[in-house]
Amino acid sequence: MSEPDSPVGRRGGKIDGLPKITGAARFTDDLTLPGMLHGAFNRSPHAHARILSIDVSAALALPGVYAVLTGADLPTPYGVIPVAQDEHALAVGKVLFIGDEVAAVAAVDQETARRAAALIRVEYEPLEGVFTIEDALNPDKPLLHDERRRKGDTNVLRRVFQKYGDPAAGFAEADVIIESNYDYPGSTHVPLETQVALAQPHPDGKLTLWSSTQIPHYLHRIVSKVLGMREQDVRVIKPDVGAGYGGKSDPFANELCAAALARKTGRPVKFILDREEVFYAHRGRHPTRMTLKMGVTNDGRITAADFKAWAAGGAYASYGVVTAYYFGVFLPLPYKLDHWQFESHRCYTNHPPCGPKRGHGAIQPRFALELHLDKLANAIGMSPDALRLKNCVEPDTETSNGLRITSVALKECVDKVLAASGYLEKRGKLGPNRGIGLATSAYMCGALHPIVQSEMPQSAVQICADRSGRVSILSGTADIGQGSNHMLAAIVAGRLGIPETDCVVLEADTGLTPVDLGSYSSRVTFFAGNAAKMAADQLYAVMRAAAAEKLGGEDVVMLGGKVFRESAPEKALDFAEAVQLAEERHGTLGFVGHYKPPKIGNRFRRQSVGPSPAYSFTAQVAEVVVDPETGFVTVERIWAAHDCGKALNPTIVEGQIEGCVYMGVGEALAEEQSYTKHGLHRAPSILEYKIPTVFETPEIITIIVESNDKEGPFGAKEAGEGPQLSTVPAIANAIFDACGVWMNEAPFTPDRVLKAIERRDREARRASFDGA
Amino acid sequence: MLPLPTFSVLSPRAVSDAAQMLTDHPQARLIAGGTDLLPSMKYGLFTPPTLIRLGGVSALQEISVTEAGGLRIGAGVTLRAVGRDVRVLSLYPALAAATRTIATSTIQAMGTLGGNLMLDTRCAWYNQSTFWRGALGGCLKCHSAPEGAICHVAPKGKGCYAAHSADTAPGLLLYDAEVELVSTRGARRVAVAALYGDDGRDWIRRAPDELLTAVILPPPPAGRVVHRKLRARGSIDYPLLLTAAAFDPDRGPRVVVSSVGPRPVELGGVAEAWEAGGVEAVAEAAYKQVSPLSTHVWPAPWRKKMVRVEVRRALEAAISGV
Amino acid sequence: MPTEPDDDLVLTLRVNGDRRRLLIPANRTLLNLLRQDLGLTGSKHGCDVGDCGACTVLVNGAPRLSCITLAAEAQDAELLTVEGVAVGGALHPIQAAFHEQVAAQCGYCTPGFVMALKALFDERPDPTDAELNEVLGANICRCTGYTKILAAARQARERMNGRST
Repeated sequence: MSEPDSPVGRRGGKIDGLPKITGAARFTDDLTLPGMLHGAFNRSPHAHARILSIDVSAALALPGVYAVLTGADLPTPYGVIPVAQDEHALAVGKVLFIGDEVAAVAAVDQETARRAAALIRVEYEPLEGVFTIEDALNPDKPLLHDERRRKGDTNVLRRVFQKYGDPAAGFAEADVIIESNYDYPGSTHVPLETQVALAQPHPDGKLTLWSSTQIPHYLHRIVSKVLGMREQDVRVIKPDVGAGYGGKSDPFANELCAAALARKTGRPVKFILDREEVFYAHRGRHPTRMTLKMGVTNDGRITAADFKAWAAGGAYASYGVVTAYYFGVFLPLPYKLDHWQFESHRCYTNHPPCGPKRGHGAIQPRFALELHLDKLANAIGMSPDALRLKNCVEPDTETSNGLRITSVALKECVDKVLAASGYLEKRGKLGPNRGIGLATSAYMCGALHPIVQSEMPQSAVQICADRSGRVSILSGTADIGQGSNHMLAAIVAGRLGIPETDCVVLEADTGLTPVDLGSYSSRVTFFAGNAAKMAADQLYAVMRAAAAEKLGGEDVVMLGGKVFRESAPEKALDFAEAVQLAEERHGTLGFVGHYKPPKIGNRFRRQSVGPSPAYSFTAQVAEVVVDPETGFVTVERIWAAHDCGKALNPTIVEGQIEGCVYMGVGEALAEEQSYTKHGLHRAPSILEYKIPTVFETPEIITIIVESNDKEGPFGAKEAGEGPQLSTVPAIANAIFDACGVWMNEAPFTPDRVLKAIERRDREARRASFDGA
Repeated sequence: MLPLPTFSVLSPRAVSDAAQMLTDHPQARLIAGGTDLLPSMKYGLFTPPTLIRLGGVSALQEISVTEAGGLRIGAGVTLRAVGRDVRVLSLYPALAAATRTIATSTIQAMGTLGGNLMLDTRCAWYNQSTFWRGALGGCLKCHSAPEGAICHVAPKGKGCYAAHSADTAPGLLLYDAEVELVSTRGARRVAVAALYGDDGRDWIRRAPDELLTAVILPPPPAGRVVHRKLRARGSIDYPLLLTAAAFDPDRGPRVVVSSVGPRPVELGGVAEAWEAGGVEAVAEAAYKQVSPLSTHVWPAPWRKKMVRVEVRRALEAAISGV
Repeated sequence: MPTEPDDDLVLTLRVNGDRRRLLIPANRTLLNLLRQDLGLTGSKHGCDVGDCGACTVLVNGAPRLSCITLAAEAQDAELLTVEGVAVGGALHPIQAAFHEQVAAQCGYCTPGFVMALKALFDERPDPTDAELNEVLGANICRCTGYTKILAAARQARERMNGRST
């Protein structure tokens, strides 16, 4: 479909890249409105306590303070997931973690707002805290959410059990069965821009809210709900956003309180979280304990799996109901698995709430599964790559849990990554304390079923062709740095044969742009890209017809900014001329495209989480060096081959893969949300929460593999999340190759690795002693 | 985002003016690079009414050769300038190396040698925001700790164990460096080895009206001094453990360990251990003497194991450099 | 020279070539001076305590973390921010390379990287990879894995030294 000079597949700069490099980009905190006030929170110093009283008089008396809100002012509960409406903008009745928002102040400047917030006196009755999975499962422990109280209730938000085929029979077929426990840590996103909101009240009672959100649509719905406003009176605008990685998918208290304080004071209110507060807002990776049992035959066929997971999810549900499903539903990908079951528990604990982080819910089981495959391969004396390739899913098949699989280029990914890394020559032969490891994975390209059930399109794009030849693209998508604006422009420009720089993308303004469900679950390219394609197709058809009439033939093509007959390319119209011709014939050129995922029948009715119109596939190899005396792991190189369908802009796709690998390296080596036994965050700063610097980041060699999905726009699937899944287990498998220890617990900090090495040496000494 | 408390600023041009201001404003704090002071003030660790800016005192920014053949480095010389100075690089390579491991290259361009030596002691339970320390219940180092506050590192103790984290101190100690302290009462010299105290709250033996003006290094010792910094990441981080080792073929080894308590400690019994069993014995002696506490987020037992490894590596490097 | 402390101070400096004179409170940080008083919002609050580098600007040519620098330190100084790097509308080679390599994803850290690299290139026109890494190590990027940033820095180095890439 794409031509040599087409914007589709072209490398290099993003259409909206320059402002970010010159300082001209406007992030929410860069916006200032006349008369703007500033917000600040009073937060709970208790992990679990009942609020007995709140005295805001001293705060209100402070000069420069305009308003104070408490939970009583915003009593409507909310939550992204319809069945889990368990949050309030400010605590109502109880506080559930250290950092929970109790009251909000609007004042003339940030200093005054913060000082006032500190003057609010809150009387608490401390309650016993729930800090572990054991606590959460124990019916004798207090419930975080009192309203759930029934006899025997525990702090389990959602338990999921699913069974496919006959696991018992599958295990009976196995020659080797291995069962292991795994622990995956909680980690958080740390976008460089913290959460920022700016609300402006209008004299007609309407409200505009600028926010650093990655899902303007849900924010729009929930702000309206919590403030008791009509949705048509609320306009949410997402300016440039300093990234999210899933961390800006929930509505946050600062957004709701900015809006409420603006309404209350009649003045614009900016509400920014400081860096520490972002660690409390969190919504990151669930710390997860897992048990995996798998069987294989001696010739490497996986016969059965039994997976269990328990996640300590923090104080609120966030997307946690979905997380509980994601833990299990992707297990039969990318390997055929007919007989298996999983049971997962997503629990409440008195910690900052977990939520969706890049690779949501799939990272933890993938870590367990990929280590497990290497263990099984070891046990049957098979090469880990061979075991994987033997069980790899085939294109145009269906998994045992009913997921429709279309394009798959996993084998090509594995082949390329093995060749590039020299895995086969290196494994087991790199000498002491140097090792190489492989892992593969699959991920979705958007969820078939929307979070709020509806038959309406999940993405829509409107395009208008101007007489100048410029094409404007209006879309509710949220570019948070991943390049979705460029993606839309490349698709539209690619269809119309013009440079993508002749497109203007206007995005993420609920007052102007058609609905898009937002930047999560790797859905934007597939969903919004198809919507853009559909709109461009309509414009293309109208322009082509007009040009055909003018040029006197049907063989019209649009390429390189020209419109001409293939048989007479010398007689070409400029694109702008062709627009004008079409406008004369058709009227103003505006078209709307939308995307509704295909209705894919699933024989398992319960399977509403997991189905996607397509899946991406990844294979990665990591090469590491372990310092056996300190336990430090150095990841020297990672080769990442990713089947993204089609790279609409290879440079951007590489950047997504590199970003995924980087985030995986952080989770592998050091990142961890750690708390005291009283629930206080140990490291709420960039200084103490150890995200990798350039020195910990390996050389990343990306290999783009294009399977050209037949339903994806120009064949594209996703690249923003899937590549992270393989990174941590590839590193773990490399550590085993380096020094013979299985790191069943992440992150692989020097302390943990050294303990594992010491255990290995003790066992070796005991074995040699026993042997002697 | 994080406001600074209010304060006034004084900008002296001469050392004598700075000393006078410090006498006149006993609650004032000195600010040079500000890379530790300002974050600490944003976290509400202290709220001085006045800051005395040393950036305008050009006399503090000079490096000169002493009559004895050593170097005098002004307290206001940036860490970057120290690390790049050819005289420092040739005579005191462990000092240059130490400056290049501090935080980040940008902070090295901002921070000064004097500021590094004056760096407050640090603790994972202390270097946190006002809100965080409030949720914890404060600690003994907090200036307004609530009644009943305890040390979270040693809950039964009365002392503060916050860790000395000045990267340049261990090496300077082995170079037998001194600092010059100036007040309106005059100037005096104190050995770096005697500059620090045993309690994390009262960690520097400097009178409140004294200003650190220079580091004076005697001619370098025979043999080599090696600096090692154990840290979580290749930049940004404070030390988890600092080790400096010197080896003089005639006098044997010396070893300093820091970041394990309120001051850098020159280990005892090193000569005996060296005589008895060489590098391994010195490393073992260090392991026995040094017990890191939970002043850092990374676990103390692992840091204790690292004492042996880091001392051995430092000493081996010092010896191989002879 | 005043010997009595003053809560406010008159600051005279040049910012991106423009002479400025302002009355500011003594506790103003350089970052807030730029963002609030001068409307130069290119420099960012990332951590606000000197850990991330997003606020890096040049004071008399040297890189400084403006979030932990007092505005008073810029008295009589020459300041350069990301807004002043492209002269006369022409991108600096560092910026051109950042664009071509898509080294800015979300772009929030980008001004800090551009400024830190600018300081390096001004001082050492042909830095080694290790020197580039030293500078990249002073800044946090959460999107790119530093890969494209390093590629852009190398590309800028090659172009600025007349070598083709």
